[in-house]
Amino acid sequence: MSTTERAAESGPPGTATWAEVQADPRFRELRRRLRGFVFPMTALFLGWYLLYVLLADYAHEFMSMRVVGNITVGLVLGLLQFVSTFVITTLYVRYANRRLDPLADEIRGEIEGGGR
Amino acid sequence: MGLNVWALGGIAAVAVLTFGLGVWGSRRARTTSDFLVAGRGVSARMNAAAISGEYLSAASFLGVAGLVLKDGVDALWYPVGFTAGYLALLLFVAAPLRRSGAYTLPDFAEARLGSVRLRRLATGFVVVVGWLYLVPQLQGAGLTLATITELKPWVGAVLVAVVVVLNVVFGGMRAVTLVQAFQYWLKFTAIALPAFLLFLVFVSDRGAGQRALGEPLPPVFTQQTTVDIETDVTLQVAEPVMLQAKGEIGGQPVDGSVYWGRGQHDVSEDTRLTFPAGASAPSVVGAPADNAAWINPLGADKSLLHIYSLIFATFLGTMGLPHVLVRFYTNPNGSAARETTLYVLILLGLFYLFPTILGALSRLYVPQLLVTGKTDAAVLLLPTAMLDNWLGKGLAALTAAGAFAAFLSTSSGLVMSVAGVLSTDVLPGRVRDFRLATLIAGIAPLAAALAGATLDLSQSVGLAFATAASTFCPLLVLGIWWRGLTAPGAAAGIIVGGGLAVAATVTTMLVATAGGWVEPLLAQPAAITVPAAFVTMFVVSKLTRRRIPRDVSRTMLRMHAPDPLGFSQDREGQVGALADSNLPGEGRHRA
Repeated sequence: MSTTERAAESGPPGTATWAEVQADPRFRELRRRLRGFVFPMTALFLGWYLLYVLLADYAHEFMSMRVVGNITVGLVLGLLQFVSTFVITTLYVRYANRRLDPLADEIRGEIEGGGR
Repeated sequence: MGLNVWALGGIAAVAVLTFGLGVWGSRRARTTSDFLVAGRGVSARMNAAAISGEYLSAASFLGVAGLVLKDGVDALWYPVGFTAGYLALLLFVAAPLRRSGAYTLPDFAEARLGSVRLRRLATGFVVVVGWLYLVPQLQGAGLTLATITELKPWVGAVLVAVVVVLNVVFGGMRAVTLVQAFQYWLKFTAIALPAFLLFLVFVSDRGAGQRALGEPLPPVFTQQTTVDIETDVTLQVAEPVMLQAKGEIGGQPVDGSVYWGRGQHDVSEDTRLTFPAGASAPSVVGAPADNAAWINPLGADKSLLHIYSLIFATFLGTMGLPHVLVRFYTNPNGSAARETTLYVLILLGLFYLFPTILGALSRLYVPQLLVTGKTDAAVLLLPTAMLDNWLGKGLAALTAAGAFAAFLSTSSGLVMSVAGVLSTDVLPGRVRDFRLATLIAGIAPLAAALAGATLDLSQSVGLAFATAASTFCPLLVLGIWWRGLTAPGAAAGIIVGGGLAVAATVTTMLVATAGGWVEPLLAQPAAITVPAAFVTMFVVSKLTRRRIPRDVSRTMLRMHAPDPLGFSQDREGQVGALADSNLPGEGRHRA
């Protein structure tokens, strides 16, 4: 394509910047926040799925308790699986927008000297 | 035969519209980079509709309702898993992968671990997963056309393959983005409108002979029903039934009245069964026999392990599907990618409500599908079974058209991705070769669809998910989150996980041909193969510690540095540049 893009391959940021970012405590904080959200949330989420199936297999009476008409506890919990997927995604999007992006902007602003 | 004309008209309209949009959009597709990443100027909503449109395949449109009809509540794990897969993709993979600048799985393998051989292995599995996923789409097309006309199943499969290959050859992905977004709304309308109207019909007219879906009794035929058995089948009878039969039952020729007590009965192919109105419907072995078991979780003959396997496969497999990943590159930045995912979950969740309703209604109105085992046809047959007038025919035409939209959109995305890796990694990369690659990508699964056994659509697709979860999920998750991964470790994990998953898939297909009963783990192997792949990758990487790439720190930093930092700029530029020059064998994603 164009020379500008070819040039970009070896272009910014230089090696100094790479090291700088890596050493920055805020970058470590950023990674810590991301991990601190993603891994526990996944464990919670998978655990809730697997627990549901376990209940279905071993707690028949509980799961077939009727809430209204033909609607059983099992059916309600099953539908909640859908809801929980959506809730967790929403939580993540909000977390990322509030706790991750501002910090990332801060680091970037400093390193690039507000440029670009 | 008014139905045929209406439904065929609907299918023809979808095919022409898809092709037309493809050709119209293709006027802007000039270079290879246009074909592959469609520029990045697509809005989050449009992109979400395109992702959902591409994702909702035959398994979602026909398969989910079919499984709800047969298995009841347990079938809901498919839509839950299909949706949750996007959450896993978002949390673990989407943003870092995007920043790595690798826009296909083989690119990622090479960029992260610096091994051309690993890249080739990944390419091989992209093709395998793509083809495994394509086969049920084409078979679904065959089933649909055979259900609404007298045509043989191969006609539908060939039709879809031809339209898709032509569309991808003449359109490319820019066109496909537009087409896919359109396809979502088409599919949504084609499933939501019939579900809504038929539900109203159900509420207003409760036939006297119907049974509530919670009763511990099997579903009943509301009117006299004739069922033609086309393949040998074993039926389980939960309540004694009198019927007329002509053909062969339990190895004995019969012609006349038959009494079936509780238990199992073998029926040979080419047998015609006629059930009187009010008779209880038998069902194929393995499905829950009565309505009370149907509505309870694990009421079907499914083991805990089977459901766990399914959760693993769908939750972790989505991130390894070639046609899904590439779509995230059409987002301009990470924040837009998150927004897109949220929309995708809304659109998918909304969609899956309707096949579930249709599946439940099918149990009341088309129980004969339980006898033939062709439950995938439920969505297609329900409208005319419930409404014997022009409206029923119209809705049936709509569902047939929607089903074709599902085959066309998913197949386009898959053929596109398979052709993409074939053209960049196997063939010299020029636009003409991309067209040749498209042809290869479409013809091979067509041959398999025509020759292979037909499983339930959702089950076949589940096997493609299992293969993706056993190969690319560990590669991506460990590659992104663990510095210690090495090329030999990754390769060993992919070979072990993928090999086991493919072996299970092939066995399932062969055993299904023989009509036998399949072990749950062969039918859905992910609970074994995914951990096996992870453990192998970890152990072999530990043993080959010397092979950790020297630039691992830089690669990891690039992937985990915040998006707006601009570290991904060089790769973005590179992608554009290389897509044009595209020389094979260059270590082109090495900065």
